[in-house]
Amino acid sequence: MSTDPVLQIDNLESYYGPIMAIRGASLEVRKGQIVTILGANGAGKTTLLKTVSGVMSAAKGTILLNGEAIHHLEPDAIVRKKMVHVPEGREIFPMLSVYENIAIGAYTRSNKKQIAADLEMVYSYFPILAERAKQPAGTLSGGQQQMLAIGRGLMASPKVMLLDEPSLGLSPLLVEEIFTILRRLNKEQNVTMLLVEQNAKVALGVADYGYVLELGGIVMADDARALENSKDIQAFYLGVREESERGTRRWKQRKTWR
Amino acid sequence: MSENLPSVNQTGQNNGADLPAQTMFDGVAYNSDMHTGPFYIDGCDSLPKLFSKRCKELGKATSHREKVLGIWRSHSWNDYFRSARSIGLGLVSLGVKHREVVSILSEDNKEWAYMDLGIQCVGAISSGIYTTDAPSQLAYLLNNSKSKFLFVENDEMLDKYLEIKDQVPNLEKVIILERGGLHDFVDEKTMFLDELYDLGEKFHQTQPDRFENEIARSTPEDIGLLIYTSGTTGAPKGAMILQKNIIFTVASTLQAIPSLQNDEQLCFLPLCHVFERNTSIFSPIASKTIVNFAESTETIFENLQEVSPHTFSAVPRVWEKIYSRVILMSQDGTALGKFAFSQAMTAGQARADYTIANKDVPFFIQLRYRFWDFFVLKNLRRMLGLARIRRAISGAAPISPDLLKWYRAIGVNVLEGYGQTEGSGVTSVNTLEKNNNGTVGPPIPGVTIKISNDGEILFGGGNVFAGYWQSEVKTAETMTADGFLRTGDLGMLDSEGFLYITGRLKDIIITAGGKNITPSQIENKLKSDAHISDVVVIGDKRKYLTCLVMIDKENVEKYAQDHKVPFSDFASLCAAEKVQELIGSIIKEANQNFARVEQVKDFRLIDIILTAEDDELTATMKLKRGFVEKRYNSLIEQMYKN
Repeated sequence: MSTDPVLQIDNLESYYGPIMAIRGASLEVRKGQIVTILGANGAGKTTLLKTVSGVMSAAKGTILLNGEAIHHLEPDAIVRKKMVHVPEGREIFPMLSVYENIAIGAYTRSNKKQIAADLEMVYSYFPILAERAKQPAGTLSGGQQQMLAIGRGLMASPKVMLLDEPSLGLSPLLVEEIFTILRRLNKEQNVTMLLVEQNAKVALGVADYGYVLELGGIVMADDARALENSKDIQAFYLGVREESERGTRRWKQRKTWR
Repeated sequence: MSENLPSVNQTGQNNGADLPAQTMFDGVAYNSDMHTGPFYIDGCDSLPKLFSKRCKELGKATSHREKVLGIWRSHSWNDYFRSARSIGLGLVSLGVKHREVVSILSEDNKEWAYMDLGIQCVGAISSGIYTTDAPSQLAYLLNNSKSKFLFVENDEMLDKYLEIKDQVPNLEKVIILERGGLHDFVDEKTMFLDELYDLGEKFHQTQPDRFENEIARSTPEDIGLLIYTSGTTGAPKGAMILQKNIIFTVASTLQAIPSLQNDEQLCFLPLCHVFERNTSIFSPIASKTIVNFAESTETIFENLQEVSPHTFSAVPRVWEKIYSRVILMSQDGTALGKFAFSQAMTAGQARADYTIANKDVPFFIQLRYRFWDFFVLKNLRRMLGLARIRRAISGAAPISPDLLKWYRAIGVNVLEGYGQTEGSGVTSVNTLEKNNNGTVGPPIPGVTIKISNDGEILFGGGNVFAGYWQSEVKTAETMTADGFLRTGDLGMLDSEGFLYITGRLKDIIITAGGKNITPSQIENKLKSDAHISDVVVIGDKRKYLTCLVMIDKENVEKYAQDHKVPFSDFASLCAAEKVQELIGSIIKEANQNFARVEQVKDFRLIDIILTAEDDELTATMKLKRGFVEKRYNSLIEQMYKN
């Protein structure tokens, strides 16, 4: 595995109207890695991904994709540079058929042969989508819709995938299924991934490296294994509780991010 | 300053049978001569008596406020008295006796004041414990003070007690202030505060005169408080503060820097600390001011804005934070805003040059200041919550003279003071009439300061404590033969009697070359930079001086962001080359003010975020030299490798 950063984000700042949602975040994703960003609601995870994929514009800072600045580019130009965004909440087109939804993912490409091959690849990873190809996408279950969103992303033949909470609203079993597939895609198709998750346990399970985002800034960065063993991560993200004399505990220790 | 302070009436009359001559100020009577006791405030020689008198006199008037679910709620002096009485009598019915210690483990809230007064009114001794203390420290303090009763704020504090409950056999009852999260908690050794209130109220029905009698029994020689000194080395020691110490210190401080009836003030520093206790509990009872309890330490700035106090006493760190906020905000302003702000600051600084030197301000400089004051500075003060400020005080640690000048420029005259637990909190303070920046002011009325032959500050007066709790040896070590207190601080008095602090006796560094160096001078210089939060200079028995630096996270992050320095977590911020260069350049600049042997040759950054729970920091967020040197020994050794 090579170690050049595929995606490098430096001092990124991003605003929602007057509110500074990302306050100078810097992070990097190396080739072939799965990097996860953990954080509570409102920490700025989604904003960060949206800014990286060009949906929102960066107020300050640089984003380099394979060493090339992309923070001033439009979202479609970024997709053409082989980085796709699988948005939070799937965002599929419910009235279009499953097949049409997948086909939209290849909008930026013209080589029909390769597109057909990629469609086969998507169907092989998600056989259920092949079965339901003719059906309106809105009739799929939540897990299937998530598969569809990922499949649509794969149709751009990406080198980097930005995944925003693929576990959202899914049963534990489905979460496991989706993450197993993500890991396979990472290994077999060589897709580098930047994964935003609230479900820290599964995210750290597949990730190589992780960042913790809080109030728009990175407070912790380490190997996924090291993060799993950090006391703060265990207490705040993995639900590990220290035994107290009373058995129950309502208060939280202060975060030190060590 | 064109303050409309009430005039002083030199009555010289005895308004009691045998009170010493009294002076009236803003409707309150104090001893005319603070050098000789006994000391009285409005004819009362103890805090319980004064408290009882005030509550009767002011009745339904607002005494304090606390924010509940976003709304400031007022509480009267009657509420104050009733709550303190219920707590006091509740404790009596549980068996508390005179001269027994009751400990309090809670953040600031109105109940803190109720407990403090309730305890003292029934002749017991009140001892506050920092909420940041570890369970083991709690056990030590409870055992050392032989506390039979402990108040805990909530479930979090209760857990600290539960962890060490087997180590504190003397403890009879733990009273919990808040029920949240404890609905199914049962333990025969604990009870809730409302149950104690009921107990006290029932006791009052059966013995309606008891509380007043207890108050009448209080004498100036009673121990009111036990205040454990944080102690950078060794176990904490409990300083015994007598009722006469409290009365003297409050009376003397209020004469030096008056606060007036119905002034608003904000309570947010830990009440365990003698500085805040004086400011927010004792002094308001004498001066009839209104205390607003801040929601938490995180909301100080919002609460400050809401309350807009007349009196605001803070530690340098808070003054630094307010300053940083203004600077950060101004950097992100519009071009016009930036221009107006810099013009206003120039005008303010020009005027401050004269006011600091205690000189008359020339007409044009004054005119220019008035103009910018009207358009910019007035709004700035209003936004910060300093629009009504008359009595701004900084204490508990040295503050940078540059920062004091900055505040003068924006129209806030911050008075630096000096004190220690053993001196009941206040020894000297600058006054509104004369504020000499860089000094900690003249001694408060009735206090005499001397400098010993080896440069140590010694003082005597009614604020000198009665000694350490059950530790005669330690007490003897801190007192001179003629009853003066050894402060352990180095300093000098100028021709006008203003005190300069130059360092700590213990901290003196003797380098391998045999040169004596007072590290606090260069430390203070370095700390005055907004990017440095605290610093410890090292060099005892070494060839040269080095230092460990704790950076100011917010300001350095801002610096990194502005200079496009990528960083992720705190450690990577500290490791960033540009940040290292920044700190290096600050040190280089500071070095120019010092002789070669006094210059810092190398530095390392402390790359973890320290909190008040860590041994390395005091509750006021200062680095503890001893702990820091031990913990970062390997970093220190790196700097002396060659």
